[in-house]
Amino acid sequence: MTILKKMTATLAVAGGLMGTTALADEGTLDIVFINDGHVAPYHVAWLSGFEDAIAAYDEAFSDLEVTGRWLSAEGSLEKMIQQAEVTINEKPDVMFVNAINVDAFEPLVAKAQAEGITWIAVHSPMESADYSFTLGDVTNGRNQGLAMCALSGGEPFQVGVMLGQAGNPSGEARRQGILEGISSCDNIEVVAEQPADWDTVKAQSIAENWLTQFPDLDAISGVTDGYMYPAIAVAQNSGRDDLQFYGYDGDVPIIQQMEGGNVMADILLSGTREGWNFVQMAYRIHKGEELDKVYDFFTPLVLSEANHEKALANGFPEDIEVFYVDRALEVATKGYLEFGPDSVQ
Amino acid sequence: MSDAAVSPRRTFALDGLMLRYAVLVGLIVIASVGFSLANSNFYSITNVGILLRSISVLFLVSMGMTFIMLTGGIDLSVGSNVAFSGGVGVVALTTTGSATIGFICALLAGMAIGWVNGVFIGRLRLSAFMVTLATFALARGLALVIYDADSINVDNAAFLWLGGTSWNNLPVVIPFVALMFIALSVLLYRTTFGRNVYAAGSNFNTAFVLGRRPERSVVWIYVLSGALAGLSAIVTVGRVSSGQPWAGLFLEFDAITAVILGGTALSGGRGRLLGTILGVLLYGIIINGLVLTGTNPYLQSLIKGMILLGVVLLDTYTQRGKSV
Amino acid sequence: MTNTARIFREHNIVFVTIALCIVFYMVSPRFLSVDNMSAISRQIVPIGLIALGQFFVVVSGNIDLSMGMGSVLFAIVLGVFFGLTGGVAVGIVAVIVCSLALGFFNGVLVAKLKLPAFIVTLSTLFMAQGLSGLIIPRGQQIFLIGDFFRFVGAGKFMGLYWSFLFLIALFALAYVVYNHTRWGAYVVAIGNSEENAKLAGINVDRVKIGIFMFSALCSGFAGLVLSSRMGFVQPGLDGNGLLLDGIAAIIIGGTLILGGRGTIGGAFWGLLFIGIINNALNLLNVVDVWHQVFKGAVILAALAINWMLWQSRQADAH
Repeated sequence: MTILKKMTATLAVAGGLMGTTALADEGTLDIVFINDGHVAPYHVAWLSGFEDAIAAYDEAFSDLEVTGRWLSAEGSLEKMIQQAEVTINEKPDVMFVNAINVDAFEPLVAKAQAEGITWIAVHSPMESADYSFTLGDVTNGRNQGLAMCALSGGEPFQVGVMLGQAGNPSGEARRQGILEGISSCDNIEVVAEQPADWDTVKAQSIAENWLTQFPDLDAISGVTDGYMYPAIAVAQNSGRDDLQFYGYDGDVPIIQQMEGGNVMADILLSGTREGWNFVQMAYRIHKGEELDKVYDFFTPLVLSEANHEKALANGFPEDIEVFYVDRALEVATKGYLEFGPDSVQ
Repeated sequence: MSDAAVSPRRTFALDGLMLRYAVLVGLIVIASVGFSLANSNFYSITNVGILLRSISVLFLVSMGMTFIMLTGGIDLSVGSNVAFSGGVGVVALTTTGSATIGFICALLAGMAIGWVNGVFIGRLRLSAFMVTLATFALARGLALVIYDADSINVDNAAFLWLGGTSWNNLPVVIPFVALMFIALSVLLYRTTFGRNVYAAGSNFNTAFVLGRRPERSVVWIYVLSGALAGLSAIVTVGRVSSGQPWAGLFLEFDAITAVILGGTALSGGRGRLLGTILGVLLYGIIINGLVLTGTNPYLQSLIKGMILLGVVLLDTYTQRGKSV
Repeated sequence: MTNTARIFREHNIVFVTIALCIVFYMVSPRFLSVDNMSAISRQIVPIGLIALGQFFVVVSGNIDLSMGMGSVLFAIVLGVFFGLTGGVAVGIVAVIVCSLALGFFNGVLVAKLKLPAFIVTLSTLFMAQGLSGLIIPRGQQIFLIGDFFRFVGAGKFMGLYWSFLFLIALFALAYVVYNHTRWGAYVVAIGNSEENAKLAGINVDRVKIGIFMFSALCSGFAGLVLSSRMGFVQPGLDGNGLLLDGIAAIIIGGTLILGGRGTIGGAFWGLLFIGIINNALNLLNVVDVWHQVFKGAVILAALAINWMLWQSRQADAH
């Protein structure tokens, strides 16, 4: 696959060289992504996917100069608004904005559209935006909850759910979905719900406190894989080898612990994939393709094959799309497989 | 403005400070030229308007912080207070429908947090750092509770006017900030209250012995800072047409940085409002310029750290070179 | 009577912390269980390391804001060197060298070049944040697997965590250094008045550089403990929560933020206080929007109680 990609790229470059003089000013595609922060493992992966994709698209389409910028508002709404204002003044072609709160950005969307900029609302959908790039957080959360129901074995089962920061729309949607899914069976009791504010260090303390507070705890569920790393470590260190984990994000090391480990389910977002998908989406819009106004990022559930069979036997819905570990890992690490230049050529 | 900035009373500190301000102006020019070379859009009228509007809140809050730091105190709660007083104002506005009541409630709420700070710090003589760290959490928490962690849309034109309106490219909040600067300068340099601020900072106990009642001034200084947070809340709500529970996050650290860049020491007693204005401008230009360069956020953090360090280094060095 | 007053004066925070424990115990009896105490003892280790390093910085009249993001950066340094060589010792040496270097950098800028510590360490905070996202190939994790990391993360001795015992030992050492050595007296002298300290012939610059090197070393240890407990390092962790908790701990413990006053014992009790509040938030299952209100209100209440005790002992003294 890699070889194929390299060959395509080389061919494209060769083709580009021949046509350079004629096509030099054929077009530019300037993409800006404004995110709410940059201090989470997911963000790092996101940035790397985005930058790799920009480079790949720029190389693959020689008639098009693809440039990109990834800005972080460092958690501050005011900084994000300033960044959006400054960016609009720069007139890029496409703006992806992962708004801390969508209501605050309504005036800016109108301003951007007046400048001819395509505004894509990331994660929290916006009516006024040209497109909304959504994750289906409620559905994903419900799938995680349903998987827990099907794998909990019918016995009384206690779970603690780690939440995002109070008021964060993604976190709220995931929480709602997870609780909905869990409520579909009556053997699972949610013994605690605590916000860890997307903070790995905080998640570690919470996991420790739960393990002492609830000796019969069976599982920890979280709205991000960032919480799973410390939770798994805490469980191992206190000899709780039976504790199950239900993650969300599709971080590679978490998926890797599914075979032979206690990670039962995960939601395959993967920051790398998401970064690649952004660039692909911007390219398709640039080419004049009509996309759905609400663009759903494809986020399947990840289970091991054995667990999927077990879950199906326990009444897990058959129509929920499931990726097994190998496939999930390949897709998560190689964003270009799904969203690379080859996918649109 | 310049009249208010040159006070005959404190001429002994003036030479050093004036030199520092000249250096700051020089740095502002250098930073502007540098960023405009990197991106020609930097000097566009629109971008200057954006820059001024985005730092208007920082101007207001930093002026309050200057008063506090002159007394040797610190106020970590201002950012949370912006969210809290905005929440109270917006809820008052939506329940009564009256912009005036909304304004008053926002100001009062800001002053209430300031008053709690002031009483604990001024009367009970507790550590400003600790007290405002507690209200930093408390005010943010109350804001989350008031809003139930969600934003509230505002469409009352009068309430949004201050933060949301622009005359051509000049946001109306900028002349408002200038007026506040003049008013606060008069307060600081022309009144007994202002002298008490410097007195409380130079030596609390001496001021006490001289009958200046510094503890009373301290309470009012924190109330003033709270009131400015309330005003900032109104500006913020106007800017985003909605009340936001996470407004003003980490604003206090930006304000403290700007005030220190402006030459006011953390230990108190020395500094002026003009320096703070320059400090905010310089800090705002750096932040705005970094967005325009479009480097990745980690590299931006690194560059921001190095620029900050470079600024204080250059600033201190030119000053020291002159005084030797 | 004067004796009681003296005990109150020096140990306000002890009484406040104990009172808090009793309240939490009445709400949830599990609070005082051995397991929970043991969990708290482990959770306070990183905060405690930050607090201890910060203590000397603050007593000398300075502040080190780079400690939180610093510990994140040093965790990544550990991961990179361990990942490259597979040697635990190499990783630890790298952490020690890098942290001392950062401390030296902070110290020289503050002491020799006379720059404000707030801005210097804020700058190094940003730099550490930037570097922590830049030095590992992005999106990658390095796992810390081995007996040593398990030992640091979860090793126990007679029912107590080794990491906690290490913290206690460091606090004891700091107590001796602070109260019974010349260096400790120098730190206090500098915090009271740098001019006077200079006149008294103290090499102020050298002491200050030492203080910053120690605080950076503490954040290096904090990074080591944090990453060992998690078993992996990855760019993009947030260390600023740790920093604020550490500062809160020592100031609640009676350290004067402007320098010149503070006790190690007070800092330790302040640390317990913070650890207990954080633990109680989870234990009492406080609803998310009330978290901040709870934390702020408890700290304010503690300050008020502290003040009332102080008033009563003044009445005693007269």
